[in-house]
Amino acid sequence: MTKINSRARKPIKWSTIISALIILLVYAAVFIAEQTLPATSMLFTVLKKGATYALVAVSMNLLNGFTGLFSLGQAGFMLIGAYSYAILTIPVADRINVYQYYNGGLVQFAMPVVPALIVAGLMAALFAFLIGLPVLRLKSDYLAIATLGFAEIVRAIFQWNKLGALTNGSNILREFPTFNDFNIRNAEGEVTLYLSTLVPFLIAGVCIALIVLLINSTYGRSLRAIKDDEIAAEAMGINLFHHKQLSFCISSFFAGIGGAMLAMYQSTIQAKAFTSAMTYEILLIVVIGGIGSVTGSCISSFLFVAASEWWLRFLDQKQMIGSFEVPLLRNGFRLVVFSVIIMIVVLFFRQGIMGTRELPDLFRRKKTLKQEVKA
Amino acid sequence: MSENILKIEHVTMQFGGVVAVNNLSMEINKGEIVALIGPNGAGKTTAFNCVTSVYEPTNGQISFLGKPIARNHPNKKMKKIYAGTHGEDFLGHVIRHTPDQITKLGIARTFQNIRLFAGMTVLENVMTAMHLRRKSNLFTAVLHLNLAEEKEMRNKALKLLETVGLLELQDEMATSLPYGKQRLLEIARALATEPKLLLLDEPAAGMNPQETDELSAFIKRIKEQFDLTIFVIEHHMNLVMEISDRIYVVDFGRLIAEGTPAEIQENPAVIAAYLGGEEE
Repeated sequence: MTKINSRARKPIKWSTIISALIILLVYAAVFIAEQTLPATSMLFTVLKKGATYALVAVSMNLLNGFTGLFSLGQAGFMLIGAYSYAILTIPVADRINVYQYYNGGLVQFAMPVVPALIVAGLMAALFAFLIGLPVLRLKSDYLAIATLGFAEIVRAIFQWNKLGALTNGSNILREFPTFNDFNIRNAEGEVTLYLSTLVPFLIAGVCIALIVLLINSTYGRSLRAIKDDEIAAEAMGINLFHHKQLSFCISSFFAGIGGAMLAMYQSTIQAKAFTSAMTYEILLIVVIGGIGSVTGSCISSFLFVAASEWWLRFLDQKQMIGSFEVPLLRNGFRLVVFSVIIMIVVLFFRQGIMGTRELPDLFRRKKTLKQEVKA
Repeated sequence: MSENILKIEHVTMQFGGVVAVNNLSMEINKGEIVALIGPNGAGKTTAFNCVTSVYEPTNGQISFLGKPIARNHPNKKMKKIYAGTHGEDFLGHVIRHTPDQITKLGIARTFQNIRLFAGMTVLENVMTAMHLRRKSNLFTAVLHLNLAEEKEMRNKALKLLETVGLLELQDEMATSLPYGKQRLLEIARALATEPKLLLLDEPAAGMNPQETDELSAFIKRIKEQFDLTIFVIEHHMNLVMEISDRIYVVDFGRLIAEGTPAEIQENPAVIAAYLGGEEE
């Protein structure tokens, strides 16, 4: 018995401390870079969008990687989150301009940013709850098709003219607070403290931390059990439907917040941009990062955004080497390269960048094969 | 007369035209070890699946601790093709549960083909089975305000692992254990749900003779230690004869004999079923 009790107190591990330090360093680096580098640098575009995508990818990973539910509705929930946020935060004075075809729209109040973000998440979760009632009884590919269909329906409904007083129909929503509004300005309008990149990092950080806490709780264990073996999980007293619904709603909640962040990043939104291609981008990030690894999703979302917005941009333009025009390069070629990357990942690196490992696992002493065999 | 903990009354399980379990009635009393034996395909695991509500019996009633947990009669399409007996006895209210509700009531099981959670360590496998008895809710669990409960779960899981002799392997991946140890882990995981009745589906399958010997002592030990009633399906006759208080024998879904191990060994119908008796 003494052996058990001494082991029961988990000692704080070095690997955890090192990981926490690394995350702190990243945040510090973001803050410092923002104060020193020019605000127009491509780096900040990548960091802002990367943080947004990281949150959505982690939320998708919670569903696909940790609960084993293959859902493709992420873009739909992002859309609901983005619209909820935008509709609730456009300043009352600007509504007459934004809703120019709908007499200023239906909603005639504006909320502060943080409550609006939470409402955005809750709206997405509410829709997830309702759609989950029939859909979560389906398995694997059927679930994927049903959720994909849901996302497309949402996209169509939000562009519907009859709902224009609320959603502005197929017109864009704008004038809501964006990331740039977090920069602190002095009386002359000059920026004294840049926060427009740090804030998305903080929002995404808090949300991802909550997801990690969930995964490491007794509920997280149950979700992983469902992924591993539904029949055994049910025999161990885990209510399948209840826990799947829980995971689906929580995932959608954070996808909704991610959608709101995307709205802040883009500064204007339009329902027709939330296509299934967006879901596939997120899925790609999850697969490249490693299905079942939060760290992997975060790393790969920054890599993905950097590649698509920055590093691989040249593929879409004509490039001259001396007088030689590089063949194939034209608008859209980037996507071809991406498709090839997906195929390579799926064929040869199925584990992705991280497999199922997390950041602290990288600093843990690896057990040698010998020890394992002995055990 | 000791109180019966599980009572199966005229249970028939019919899949389409196939009658897997035919008019099975049995009783298990508190504190007993009861075995269900029979040739392959006799319907033993189907009977287990009816008790744990994985299947809804076509006809009959199953009671646990005096309360019916499943009750059904042939209806709809089944009405026409029903091939069993006592089809009129259980008309009226249909009672059905989901497997997780049955586990919550206090019936835990292991599986014939091992079903451990492959992506988890040995310890996590056991702790997962404690989720159903949690007192924390989503918010306290996510915000880790339930540290005392987590610690208690962990300690209890470790004690269970010590009982089954897997304490040293707590951090190994469940599927990296040798076969015999995986079976023990399944039992530990089932015990973690705090059952009153434990269903073991071929616990000795794939074990070597020495492990099988240890298993029979082990089953008796956990019965005493956790105040259990045990219902076991098994093919190893030595094990069955050694541990069982009573034995039920099924063949082609029908109960063909019941009694103490000594009685069963002498029963001509059982011998015929196992060795292939002459057609009469």
